[in-house]
Amino acid sequence: MSIIQVTGTGKSVAPDRTPFYGARVPSEIKSIIKPINKLDQDVFRKILKLIVASLEGNQVEYDDIKQLETNTLTEEILVLFFTGLTTLLKSALKHSASSLKQEMFKDDLVELQIPNIFHDDLTSVVFGSRRPKIDSHSNDSRPRFARLENLKWRVDVAISTSVLNRVLEPSVQMEMTLSDGSIKTFEVPTSKFHELRYNVAFILKEMEDLEKRSILKIKD
Amino acid sequence: MAAFMFTVTPSIQKAVSLINNIEKSKISLLLTRILSKLYIVESRPFTDEEEEKLQGALGVSSEELELVLQTLEFFVQQAAYHSAKPQVLSTQLKELQIDDDKVDCIAEVWTNGAYGVINRLKSKGLACKKLEDINWRLNLQLAQSTKVKLKAPNTLLELALKSDDDESKERIRLDFSHEELYQFYQQLETIQQQLDTLFK
Repeated sequence: MSIIQVTGTGKSVAPDRTPFYGARVPSEIKSIIKPINKLDQDVFRKILKLIVASLEGNQVEYDDIKQLETNTLTEEILVLFFTGLTTLLKSALKHSASSLKQEMFKDDLVELQIPNIFHDDLTSVVFGSRRPKIDSHSNDSRPRFARLENLKWRVDVAISTSVLNRVLEPSVQMEMTLSDGSIKTFEVPTSKFHELRYNVAFILKEMEDLEKRSILKIKD
Repeated sequence: MAAFMFTVTPSIQKAVSLINNIEKSKISLLLTRILSKLYIVESRPFTDEEEEKLQGALGVSSEELELVLQTLEFFVQQAAYHSAKPQVLSTQLKELQIDDDKVDCIAEVWTNGAYGVINRLKSKGLACKKLEDINWRLNLQLAQSTKVKLKAPNTLLELALKSDDDESKERIRLDFSHEELYQFYQQLETIQQQLDTLFK
């Protein structure tokens, strides 16, 4: 499906691709297009720093934004810039580095009527050295079920019990600590242990097959 | 040489005389039922109504029935504990003055049921929960709110735990990425190596 973009100023017609922010300009970005012309580059850089810190996972305190307030720059407008720029950067970071090229990103910024002086700073966030950290943070914050943090195990051989004089059966006990904090202790009979091992090996093999196949079919 | 499983006590002698009065076929029926319910927690071989019927059928009072059932259960428990061969069991029962044909009958029931009972008792443990079942599913995550094109395979492994006394079933769900699954597999391999050294 090709989308021919018609912009308000009619400056240019984009080729057959959707811009990085989607088919429509998000409302948060629309609202900063006018005020951004009056933004100081220093203040812009400071806001950008805060945004990058939040994308890497650090909390941004209210005071940090309050500090940037000046006579001309009220809190309202500051918050507007913060939101608009965060949305812009987040939509750019959604795409992997290989599918969104720098030139395309810059073209889209021009489309959005972001002043040229800000282009370099924005490009350095999306394509620069901080990118891997941002990516690994978004990877970690995926919604997931409980993960296995720690596995403790022991192998016992029961020699004798109260009901049986000679048992000589091995058994495995496991203590799993999960990422949600719960600790599960249970015993694994030998037959079930073999079944568990078989299933895990099978899943591993399927995963590897899947990775080999999908790389060929689903292109970036 | 197996140790003597049974010492002669007055209650055993009384039970023996009662057993000698019961028919052969009834003894095998009683014993099969007792074997199947052996060591299963909170269960008795016969319900109250069945016990009343037995009292009538065998012509014994309720205390006598109690004694007979308990003694038969005791014979079987001891046989299981020592993993006794049927001949050993027969010899020792004969020492207690039980009639030969009754002894043969008991030995036959034991021969048929011993393997199953001993296997069940071997795997009976004291731990609270046992792994009963393993289920899994393999997913390929294509996208999420922060990343549009993603190819991350991950798997959800479900371990169903059951406690020995059938109190509760619990399900543990674990999420694994490729690397995490591989680490888990390596731990399982280490455990397997330990199990292998046991059987060298």
